[in-house]
Amino acid sequence: MSEPQHNGWFEALWPRGALQQKKLNLAPRLESLKGKKVAQLWDDLFKGDVVFEILEQGLRQRFPDIEFVSWREFGNTHGADEKEALKRLPDKLRELGVDAVISGMAC
Amino acid sequence: MLRASAACEKAGFPTSSLTCEGFFKQGKATSIGLGFPNIGLALVPGHIGTKSTEQLRQDILHTTLDEVIKNLTSFDQVGQASQEPHPKAVVARGDFFAINEQFYASGYTDGLPIVPPTQTLIDAFLSYTELEADEVLGVMLPDKRAATVWSVAVNGVMAGCKPQYMPILIALVQAMADPSYGVEHSGNTPGADTLIILNGPIIKELAFNDQQGALRDGFMPNTSIGRFFRLYLRNVAGFHLHKTDKATFGNTWRVVLAENEEVLAEIDWPTIGMDMGFARGENVLTIARYSGGGSLSSVSGSTPEQLLPYLADSIERFNNWQITFTTSHGNGTLRPLAVITPILARSLANAGWSKLRVQEWLFEHARRPAWEFERQLKEWNIRGTWDLTKDAKEGKIPALFLESEDPNRLVPIVWKPSDLMIAVGGDPLRNNAYVFAHNAFLGFPTAKKILLPKNWSERVRSPSQGSA
Repeated sequence: MSEPQHNGWFEALWPRGALQQKKLNLAPRLESLKGKKVAQLWDDLFKGDVVFEILEQGLRQRFPDIEFVSWREFGNTHGADEKEALKRLPDKLRELGVDAVISGMAC
Repeated sequence: MLRASAACEKAGFPTSSLTCEGFFKQGKATSIGLGFPNIGLALVPGHIGTKSTEQLRQDILHTTLDEVIKNLTSFDQVGQASQEPHPKAVVARGDFFAINEQFYASGYTDGLPIVPPTQTLIDAFLSYTELEADEVLGVMLPDKRAATVWSVAVNGVMAGCKPQYMPILIALVQAMADPSYGVEHSGNTPGADTLIILNGPIIKELAFNDQQGALRDGFMPNTSIGRFFRLYLRNVAGFHLHKTDKATFGNTWRVVLAENEEVLAEIDWPTIGMDMGFARGENVLTIARYSGGGSLSSVSGSTPEQLLPYLADSIERFNNWQITFTTSHGNGTLRPLAVITPILARSLANAGWSKLRVQEWLFEHARRPAWEFERQLKEWNIRGTWDLTKDAKEGKIPALFLESEDPNRLVPIVWKPSDLMIAVGGDPLRNNAYVFAHNAFLGFPTAKKILLPKNWSERVRSPSQGSA
């Protein structure tokens, strides 16, 4: 479209939109993983089952009394019912007495 | 995965997100829209898919493990985000070339020249809607920006649309913002691209190409509205290559597919708009995201039984790894699309076949052996722990996937006949077809009615042809 009244000179407006997300505070961090219960969340992709097994071994070596809640407890966190799955998550984590979460896999 | 981490952080649980090297930038960019710019990412070097278990063990124990511990016991402070312009601010001044250079440098364009979005042009677009300029049509991830009527007009101008396309652009953004579509997945690695399908009298009123050359650029409404979609994804949803858009191999935008409404009415087949719940004659826009596909040359035969095997075979072949969405992971959200030409549709209809009967036939014949279905996902792809038998036994997929334990049994690639979508378009006298491989819930078919302003018919000029 031409706009002859501008004689080739334009003032162009911003094409984006206002950000709607304010910065949130992360959850308080743990002092140590000693004696803590760590949940594993998985999207059923990219060998997460193998990765969590290796991580478990590594973390147990450093923190012998650490506990894990397997990804099997939570189901897929990224499938077609992701929204519902994520809604259920906080209650499930509280119910299981979880202290922290490892979530995978972004690949 | 990051959305799961964000949900946990909100609920008070510290998280660490396992992130392959190639996803680190995307993770950082995406976390801003989730409200946690400093969410903890634990690096997994390289890509998991090409590592031996021993190499993976070394990388996890030597790199990822320390980062997981750090993420769960500390976090980095983040500074104040830089101030953005007011949504209606002038952000560039100059001649055509200067504006284009500034917009390109700011990441607002796709690399082609844009029409400078000036107040006058934006106002012309806004005059084609009854909605207020500030009305918010939705909020889109990953940036989580407000999708306003105003920003639709701005990006419509930039894309080279005409002001009278505005009602379509609004419906398009409403569809994008609909949670059932899943715009937040638009940066996934398969690089799927969205197809816009149009139905209704607006096709003729605005001179869309609904004939030969479907899906090719060359006609202003088909092409510029396709371009608008990508610009809007970039500027408002916030998908940028090398950051939030992780397409491994993408495409240029897809031009709008306008169905051949005359032929569909003549053979009394429902349009895509009708399949999506609207009435014949309503102006409807449907979007869905497709990760591949291809053309079928010369679909030959004089009966449905002769014409359809080629189509069934191609639907099955082109929807290859996409069958992952047929399993519990995708909850049966796969919706392959076949676009057949009018001559094929007429041949099928003249034999007395309804669209549903064609879909039922294709459902019965677009199948593959169960062992091939499993091999694709378990051995070749990314679903090592998944099991077809377990899915069926647990009722997560229909029982027809386990009618016997025979690995050679044929299983469908969708859950029911109507999941195989059929559109009619393209060269009316050529017996070709096109099959799209669908990206399922990562771009699920979503339709919106196009609402016209009160004085529409008086304002729409007589159609002018594009490149014909």
